[in-house]
Amino acid sequence: MNFTARYSKYRAAHLFTILCVLIWATYSFFVEAYLMPGPWPVFIRFIEFFSDFDLIVHMLWSFFHILTAICIAFVLGFVIALLPFYVFVAKTAVDKRFTPFLNSFSGIGWTLLAVLWFGINDFTVIFAITMVLIPFTIINIREGLNQLDKEIIEMANSFTKSKWKMLKLVIIPSLYSYLFASIRISFGVAWKVALTAELFGGNKGLGYLLNLARQDFDTPLILVVILIIVIFVYTTERFIFKPVENTLAEQNAIS
Amino acid sequence: MLLVNKIYSYLRFKSHNAIFDNLFGWIIVFAAVLGWWAISNSISELVMPGPLAVGKMLIDLFSDPIFLDDILISTIRVIFSVVISVIIGMLLALISKGFPITEIIVQERIKPFLNSFPSVGWAILAVIWFGSSSFSVMFVQIAILVPFCLVNLSEGLKDLDEEIIEMGRSFSRKKIKIFFKITLPLLLPHVIAAVRIAYGVCWKIALVSELFGAESGIGVIMLRAQTTANATMVFASCFAIVIIFMLGEKFIINPLARLAEPK
Repeated sequence: MNFTARYSKYRAAHLFTILCVLIWATYSFFVEAYLMPGPWPVFIRFIEFFSDFDLIVHMLWSFFHILTAICIAFVLGFVIALLPFYVFVAKTAVDKRFTPFLNSFSGIGWTLLAVLWFGINDFTVIFAITMVLIPFTIINIREGLNQLDKEIIEMANSFTKSKWKMLKLVIIPSLYSYLFASIRISFGVAWKVALTAELFGGNKGLGYLLNLARQDFDTPLILVVILIIVIFVYTTERFIFKPVENTLAEQNAIS
Repeated sequence: MLLVNKIYSYLRFKSHNAIFDNLFGWIIVFAAVLGWWAISNSISELVMPGPLAVGKMLIDLFSDPIFLDDILISTIRVIFSVVISVIIGMLLALISKGFPITEIIVQERIKPFLNSFPSVGWAILAVIWFGSSSFSVMFVQIAILVPFCLVNLSEGLKDLDEEIIEMGRSFSRKKIKIFFKITLPLLLPHVIAAVRIAYGVCWKIALVSELFGAESGIGVIMLRAQTTANATMVFASCFAIVIIFMLGEKFIINPLARLAEPK
């Protein structure tokens, strides 16, 4: 693709973005403000959001919920995924029963059950997010373990009998790209689930704000919360995960 | 641990592998239910209902006409949403492929936007915009499913064998004919993959989409159960979804996939 073609494609995309905002603005002109506030009120609300300390604290709580859940889900998923690797009996249990079950159990179900079990608090939120993330982590890491090069494992086996050394020096390094993929997917999913979990089971966080805004018909705030999440997910994907993915791909290409 | 592995390998070797694996899987499920039963015995029914109570409730769910109506409505919504989202995803993917100028618009504007839009956000906005109706539920589901379909179908279009399409072009200049006779059949495995993913995701988010914007459906049953602290019902509706999901996968999606396999 030559430079001018690429340039005109981007120009078309920017025009499209501007057009969308214009349509939004015109539409908001004709309907009630609570139905669809225009871009300008939403923008002002956005600025207000970041000058209000309480609201920022809510956002930070959401960060905390999400990061904790991702870490817990990652560790648990990793252990569960490794289990069949060492104890063969667990293979059917993990691959055919446990993972499909978790995978088809809905996130809302976990949230509502957690509210009944633990009440409305941070633990409920983190529990619900973790339960949703675990199957994603397991599926990814299991896939990586299935792709492991049998020959390399055999070679490593002839060098050492130590299971720990083997795990640290051979298995985990060859799983890097899958571990990365599981964190990346977890991150995208966690944001979406966190809102639901906080909405029903939390007393702080962006989801809680969303619930308040919903009850007050404060549509600008709803849009601001959504906007924050869209911006956040997009920028991390674009500026953190994409570059890391490229570096990983380069390293794999070299070795 | 090593001994366990040895016994397992021996038993597996002695019996028919697949049968043994399957049997073993069920033994584990049975053990899990037994464990659940043991835990529920020592905790209040309100917090952790036992498997028997939940099983009874499940039978109620699938036999009581009122509940059955809700289940049926949810299922119909899911099926329609999946079909519509696959069609929309296909159109978007085709537009970005057919008109190169729109590639960035679709792949770097519409896709990431829809992909990062939280599902609860759609659910709340749909109620504000369209009120409580089947339309707002399906709107939410479609808005969430379209990016999944778009990603899959764009991948499929990228993998298409250009040579075959070029050959087609030498036989006919009609774009529609080439699309239906060559592109679509080649794309079929990816369409099935998109349907499969959309179907799985749709059941998971069916509850979210029904929590605010519906007057009927499994989500409504579940929310009502939660507000009356009826843990048995919450459990039963979760399991009902798991069961319907698996039945649909087995009797609709898998046969479809087999039909689409190249002969």
